[in-house]
Amino acid sequence: MTGRWLFTKVGAAVLTLIFVLIFNFFLFRAIGDPTTQLARLPGATDKEIEQLKSDYGLDKPLLGQFADYVGDTASLDLGISQNTREPVWNEIVDALPWTLLLVGTGTLLATLIGAWMGVRAATKRGTKTDDGLLGFSLFTYAAPEYWIGIILILLFAVAWPIFPAGQQATPGVEFASWFDEALDVVDHLILPATAMTLMLLGQYFLIMRSSMVDVLTEDFITVKRATGLSRERVINRHAVPNALLPLVTLSAIQFGAVAGGAITIETVFSWPGLGELSFNAINDKDFPMLQGTFLVFSVGVIFANLLADILYFYLDPRVQSR
Amino acid sequence: MTKGAVTVVLVLVAFGLALVATGASGQDGTTADGTTADGTTADGTTADATTAAPSNDENVLRIGWAQDPDTLNPFVGQNEEDYTVWALNWDLPINFSPKTLGPAPGIAESWEVSDDRKTVTMKLAPDMKWSDGKPITSKDVKWSLDELGGHGVLFAGYTSSITRIETPDPETVVIHTKRPDARVIGGLFVYVLPEHIWGKVPLKQLKGQYQPDLPIVGSGPYVVTEYERRKIITMERNPNWRGEPGAYDKVQFIKYGNQDAVERALDLGEIDLVREVESSSYARLGEQDNVSTRRSQTPAYTQLSFNMCPERLCPDAQFNPAVQDRTVRQAIAYAVDRNKLNEIATRGTSFVANGILPSYYKSFYETPEQTYPYDPDQANQMLDDAGWELNDDGVREKNGETLSFDLYVRSESPFTVQMAKLIAEMTQDIGVEFNVQVVSTDKLYDLTVRSENGKPAPDFDTFIWGWGGDPYDPSFLLSILTTGEIGGSSDSFYSNAEYDKLYREQTGIFDTEERKAVIQRMVAITQRDLPYLVLTEDPQLQAYRTDRIQAIKPVCPEETGDLFCDQVSYDGVLALEPVAGASSGETGSGNAGLAGLIGLIVGFVGGVIVTRMRSRGQNEPLEIPE
Repeated sequence: MTGRWLFTKVGAAVLTLIFVLIFNFFLFRAIGDPTTQLARLPGATDKEIEQLKSDYGLDKPLLGQFADYVGDTASLDLGISQNTREPVWNEIVDALPWTLLLVGTGTLLATLIGAWMGVRAATKRGTKTDDGLLGFSLFTYAAPEYWIGIILILLFAVAWPIFPAGQQATPGVEFASWFDEALDVVDHLILPATAMTLMLLGQYFLIMRSSMVDVLTEDFITVKRATGLSRERVINRHAVPNALLPLVTLSAIQFGAVAGGAITIETVFSWPGLGELSFNAINDKDFPMLQGTFLVFSVGVIFANLLADILYFYLDPRVQSR
Repeated sequence: MTKGAVTVVLVLVAFGLALVATGASGQDGTTADGTTADGTTADGTTADATTAAPSNDENVLRIGWAQDPDTLNPFVGQNEEDYTVWALNWDLPINFSPKTLGPAPGIAESWEVSDDRKTVTMKLAPDMKWSDGKPITSKDVKWSLDELGGHGVLFAGYTSSITRIETPDPETVVIHTKRPDARVIGGLFVYVLPEHIWGKVPLKQLKGQYQPDLPIVGSGPYVVTEYERRKIITMERNPNWRGEPGAYDKVQFIKYGNQDAVERALDLGEIDLVREVESSSYARLGEQDNVSTRRSQTPAYTQLSFNMCPERLCPDAQFNPAVQDRTVRQAIAYAVDRNKLNEIATRGTSFVANGILPSYYKSFYETPEQTYPYDPDQANQMLDDAGWELNDDGVREKNGETLSFDLYVRSESPFTVQMAKLIAEMTQDIGVEFNVQVVSTDKLYDLTVRSENGKPAPDFDTFIWGWGGDPYDPSFLLSILTTGEIGGSSDSFYSNAEYDKLYREQTGIFDTEERKAVIQRMVAITQRDLPYLVLTEDPQLQAYRTDRIQAIKPVCPEETGDLFCDQVSYDGVLALEPVAGASSGETGSGNAGLAGLIGLIVGFVGGVIVTRMRSRGQNEPLEIPE
């Protein structure tokens, strides 16, 4: 039963991936003839354009190009960036750790803080604490992330300069040890990670709050309370674990999705991750790079969804019994 | 005291203690930042507790930018930022003088032109060395002109007239050209690369993925020693540099995510100089403490282009034929207030233009006779005289043709969009209608290069775009309006036999005054025919920190040029000097913020533990909300 369930889920993920691969290929060809982008200098001769087409394999029929694309992608060859002339894969591998660090920190903090706030609000429902937390999280949820980023920079890097305004490390500095370097990175991480946390916090809070409110109205809570367990114990040992379920799966799914959503935060904070890579690629119309980053984002979402399904399977016995 | 109050007190105490404990690094952090706030001089590198920043006696010039080079391989590089780095790393055969922009010794120490002006003999200085210690010889020059000049994306245009290059000895290069070509001396904009490195790489690779090894061997005063794309480029002194060394030990180019971040970094003292400031923030930056701005001329302009393609060349072109009526174009020129365009659209940062030759070209510029000062009455009179009459919609018409034109502008260029709207408003007064169409750069490019049956078929009436030329020689800008460029760079499809003849003539004249006279005649023709109504000359807007860099004298050319001869010559950077005792370097927060944050977390955790302990055993009822 478990094997079949897992097979179905993995199969669905693989099918989605295949669809994304096909869509990704045709999306960038539907935009127009890539050679007009390649020959960025006006007055490129026909011979030069032919040469460019041949260099990038664009002189082959579309199906042939597609076969090349699938084969290359399978062997992690995502093509050559039109601007940097570097393999797209290398550029993505350089940028990915920075995005994972930022998105990972942001997601982790948002989950923890959101969950804590959700529990507080749900157990004090209708009080000023609840209203305050709800108002705060709705505000950060609604505010555009680049705006939050700029406000954080203006407050903590310009008006009260205690954090760096951007970048992942102090440029041009040779560090005495890896620990110094790590501290410097952490220092640079605080503002963007705070922006990321604030961006995500609202939805985690809302999910946790409503989930807690539901759980607290269930009969077993009354029973537990009636057996004489303390309030703290009922909340922490019985209500929270049950209410956490949707939050865990949401953060897993979100982790895949927010890698793409980090574009604006990475740009505002000059954070050299995938978001900034995509932003530059869009500006420069670097199609192979865009195709590569889109693919990575899609794979991230598909993988995160699969992970969430599997997590749910282990966390919620009801899924296993189905 | 309530539980919450205990937590808050603990958090604040821990936060305060953490800040006090990191007082030293906090001091460091505010030293540099404080320079913007209180105007005190930066007291040097603020090596904080955790980082080994550059030592105080190392002078680093830090330049910030929002776009960094995609590649440092000149065979494939296409961005203007690439030139900023190349120009420090390599010489041209003949460099540009920082004073006049005229020819100055580069790899060639001297040069001679033959009597028939078709042969130029260059003499290299003896004992010149590359940064790796190998000698610089005539073979390097020949290889570079043949290969980079033959195949480099940005360089092929400069060597088109060269037929043969000889190297009779290691210090002599003889260049033969098809016809006399003054650009061989004043504008052979091809970098001389070391053949012993680049010559070993197959051409296919040079035009493909090749990236030069670090340090990038060069002949300029600084060579690239570190290149982390999207992060930083560091250039250090060339140990074999033949001239006086620059005052800076290193030049660093630091990449930021966007232009705002670059300008903020200058405000905060993280960088010393910004090579390109937005016109929208230029005035604000100039008001900051310790920041000075500079507006200089460039060989670039923004023009209103008219579709001039003649029937014989473009039988399938799509446009309103009235656009090819010279009187109409001249009337439009009188109706457009170029001063106002500059004032509003570029916030007064541009220079008002008079014709297709920017006043930047001091050696060749003269204000043309016909400048079209703002005069809507004159414009109306001209159209009345030509028989264009106002219809009920307030638009002039004649023989079924109306003076209603599409005006394309690029969405990527907000200031030209504003210019287009202003032009549409201004010309309403003379009964000329412009329908402003905001499109992408790609779309406009497609409209201008459209072809049918192998012939150009441009599909537009008018558009606003711009061009930029070379530092000294105006040939490229002048070439755009030649018939030969139709199907190439020409985007107005103008064709005038006399202009073409004069163009060929001027390229062969080595005497500046004589050449200037010919160029003036070319400008006069285009001012009469107006294939382009040149609106503004684009400025270079820069800013630097006065507490880091000593008072800068503009260069390239003297007085009217920019701060460091960007993209043209390394002499500008060599002339820069740091303010004594303010060696550029580490700025920023130290780790005061980080320490404070750790204090906050410690205080918070402490607070939670204490309140938990206090509340242990309390069995207040659980209020389960409805």
